[in-house]
Amino acid sequence: MTQGKFIFNTLFLLVLVALLTIGDLCFGSINLFSLNSGDPLFSTILYDIRLPKTLTCMIAGSALAICGLLMQSLFRNPLAGPYVLGVSSGASLSVAIATMVLTSIHISGMFFVGKGIITLFSIAGAFFVTIIILMVSKRSKSNVTVLLVGLMLSQILGATEGLIQYVSSADSVKTFVMWSMGSVGSTTLSDIWFLAPFTFILIGLGFCLIKPMNAILLNEHYAQNLGVNIHKLRISVIVITSVLVGLITAFCGPIAFVGISVPIASRLFFKTSHHLHQMVFCILIGACVLLAADIICQVISNQFTLPVNTVTTLIGSPIVIYLLFKSKLSIG
Amino acid sequence: MIQLNDVEIGYKSKKGAVSVFKHLNIEFHTGDLIGLMGDNGIGKSTLLKTITGTLKPLSGQVLLDGKNSNSYSAAELARYLSIVITEKIGGFNLTAWDVVASGRTPYINLFGKLQQEDKDIIEASLQKLNLVPLKDKLIDELSDGQRQKVMIAKSLAQQTPVIILDEPTAFLDYNSKHQLFCVLKDLCEKENKLIIVSSHDLDLMKVYINRSLTLMEHNVVEIH
Repeated sequence: MTQGKFIFNTLFLLVLVALLTIGDLCFGSINLFSLNSGDPLFSTILYDIRLPKTLTCMIAGSALAICGLLMQSLFRNPLAGPYVLGVSSGASLSVAIATMVLTSIHISGMFFVGKGIITLFSIAGAFFVTIIILMVSKRSKSNVTVLLVGLMLSQILGATEGLIQYVSSADSVKTFVMWSMGSVGSTTLSDIWFLAPFTFILIGLGFCLIKPMNAILLNEHYAQNLGVNIHKLRISVIVITSVLVGLITAFCGPIAFVGISVPIASRLFFKTSHHLHQMVFCILIGACVLLAADIICQVISNQFTLPVNTVTTLIGSPIVIYLLFKSKLSIG
Repeated sequence: MIQLNDVEIGYKSKKGAVSVFKHLNIEFHTGDLIGLMGDNGIGKSTLLKTITGTLKPLSGQVLLDGKNSNSYSAAELARYLSIVITEKIGGFNLTAWDVVASGRTPYINLFGKLQQEDKDIIEASLQKLNLVPLKDKLIDELSDGQRQKVMIAKSLAQQTPVIILDEPTAFLDYNSKHQLFCVLKDLCEKENKLIIVSSHDLDLMKVYINRSLTLMEHNVVEIH
């Protein structure tokens, strides 16, 4: 892709993000344009509800898309992603433990479980799975083996989660099920101050892997011959993705579809293999997808807010399937 | 020049070292097109992997220009020898140009930005193998012969004095095999590169190579 095309496509996506951001800020049960900017309700809706939600959409969409891209390239498999490797399941199980087991612990009448605990559990769960994956990748040089172990881990963790739900109280199961549907509306501006810097740093670290990621698209043998330290690259990708997935999962619940489908869509639309281009496009498309999904959630009903997971999966997946069948390009 | 001094090649496993060949004393000189022959499973790939540094020798020394290959960093090794293997590559929108450009990996910055000099080298590598008309084609759309040529162009862009090819003719038809060896012979003669090729096409190789190395059980036969 030429420099000019890259700049044009980036600008096009930036405009799209800007338009969707405005849309996401304005749409909802109360139209912001109908309110006076001096009205206290205006600032409450904008700063306490809409802005954190919009920023969460942008951060979570970008982060999950980058995770998917890094994993798909590392494993040279378009099916790879945080879910396939079991990282999301690890985060999810930890949150299940936090919400369903620890909710029974009361301190001065307050629930023990807060966002801080959930975040720590989520990252710890993602790390736990990552360490297992790392151990497997040390023992096996085959990416297919690592992927299969990840899939099996997902199943084991999912079953354990089911078991915990089965023995938990109805209230805690309800809390967990709502969280597991994925929501971008439960973050506050102070959450964003915590979430944004970590996400930017981790995505920035991802940008430092552009050169080896480009080389590994050939295969591991060629990449090694081109001077890439494969083991170091595997560790870097797994650490970056697990912390990102742990963070996003803690704040928004497990959001499906974005991590796996955004890199596929980016490859199909922009037909580039260079990771500098792919990363920029994935960040912007990821933000667009979650912003659009959130707008759809708002438009469908004013009475209640649909879980964002439902929209991303129900609308996004068929679009990607259609694109895959329509396109003659190989995407992985 | 590559020198093997009393090298023992093989694998290390939990049960201990599995020796494939012992006491290998071989020298490879620049400008040579060397054919490596032998039955399946005899140890051709093990020998090539030991030379490229993928496998460490069980004993002895592999010297690259007089320096032990173990003392080369990954980046230094990437500038000394390049490989072409049978494993097919493809997908992820990789074009012929992208693959050849990957040969510049040891020379470019962290963000993979190609300078004008790198682009000139990539173009020149494509031209040498008559691949310019195919440069924007996806690697998946190319024939096996064209793919092998692209991989050799990648090796040229890598600008290494040594190129090692492990069974490059495995999936090629008769004409493509001849074309491939013509290209390799040309590179040895004009660019003074040392090229080591392993293959089962004995009759074909003998037409082009100027030195052969046949691996037999417990024995290496060298014919100049």
